[in-house]
Amino acid sequence: MTDLNDELRELLPRLRRFALSLTRDSHNADDLVQATLERALSRWTGKRAEGDLRAWLFSILYRRFIDGHRSAQRYARMLQLFGGRDDPLPSAERTVMAQAGLGAFERLKPEQRALLFAVTVEGLSYQQAADVLGLPIGTVMSRLSRARKALHQLTEGEITRPAVRIYK
Amino acid sequence: MITLPPSEHDLHAYVDHQLGVTDRQRLEAWLAEHPETRAIVTAWQRDAQQLRAAWSGNLHAAPNPALDPMAVARRVRGQRARRMAQAAVLVVAVGAGAVGGWQARGPVEVRVAAAPMTDALQAYRMFAVQGILPADYTAVGGAGVQAWLDRYFSQAQRLPDLSAAGFEPRSARLLNTDQGPAAMVVYENAAGQRASFYVRPPGPGYHMLPRGSRRDGELQADYWSDPSYNYAMVSAVGLPSRAVLERAVGEGI
Repeated sequence: MTDLNDELRELLPRLRRFALSLTRDSHNADDLVQATLERALSRWTGKRAEGDLRAWLFSILYRRFIDGHRSAQRYARMLQLFGGRDDPLPSAERTVMAQAGLGAFERLKPEQRALLFAVTVEGLSYQQAADVLGLPIGTVMSRLSRARKALHQLTEGEITRPAVRIYK
Repeated sequence: MITLPPSEHDLHAYVDHQLGVTDRQRLEAWLAEHPETRAIVTAWQRDAQQLRAAWSGNLHAAPNPALDPMAVARRVRGQRARRMAQAAVLVVAVGAGAVGGWQARGPVEVRVAAAPMTDALQAYRMFAVQGILPADYTAVGGAGVQAWLDRYFSQAQRLPDLSAAGFEPRSARLLNTDQGPAAMVVYENAAGQRASFYVRPPGPGYHMLPRGSRRDGELQADYWSDPSYNYAMVSAVGLPSRAVLERAVGEGI
């Protein structure tokens, strides 16, 4: 168990970063990581240390994000229905990620962010990414193609956008 | 081995360093002669590089003590203990009265105690009298409680209409008994007096009840069965509207 704690501690920054790439909000990201660790620790007894611990944790985290995201979407639709409100981006974090040069990335769909992050930033193999995201490998490839093109388009837009944006 | 000209899949695999050495070299040679494709691939590589660079800073975020594995493990242990304590309260309190021989004989050979529906009385004491157990469902109107009950017990009798006695369904609770899952719906009148409607399966012994009524301390229980479930209506002895309740239950059967 001590070894597991050390391994988890070492992976913690990566988990938080993956969670941030999905939620785009550091509070929500840490909540997501906490829920992931709770799940991982309560399931650990039946699970041997075989395989990639990082991929296993990433898949738990992604599953939880998707579940939470779905109910949040339902909630947002309900709010929209009642009050006509629509608040798709956490505004404070928007600046944080935009400052880090991630303005284009954060405008991708969540499932595109998850895949690009897993493959490009974390360097997972296509098969590992498929396992983490719970997708067939064929879907990984077609989604990667769309995500990469969308990111490139948004990045081009970002570069040519007037600099006035900074002073907002 | 990839074929040339490369598929888009191969180009992505090249950008993501997922090609073998030989394929990589063959593709690079091909790209050198196809500048248009080369430009696309280079742009993707640049995007990927920027993404990695932008995210690298995030690995050094300030630590959050709540996320330390030791702290998380402590919380998980606490949750587990709380859940087990909760479950234990239910099984002991409901099981002890209902089935005398249960602990001795094990859960398979269930012998229902002489006094029928003791579990309904126990549950009423815990839930409606002492308030030990929180409600699973709190009602705004009677239709909601019925829908809640139907989710767990298909083909159960309709909730008796006790409005003539001034009682409306207010809250409901699922319980674990050694005879199977049970549900109790608590009615309340304007004076805050309570009565409960209790449903559970007849249990592995398929023990059906003849219609009857008995008194247990300060409580009065009416009980009966239909082909699917056992039922009980519990309320305090000496409730002025007791006769109206009995009539309502009688009509519901």
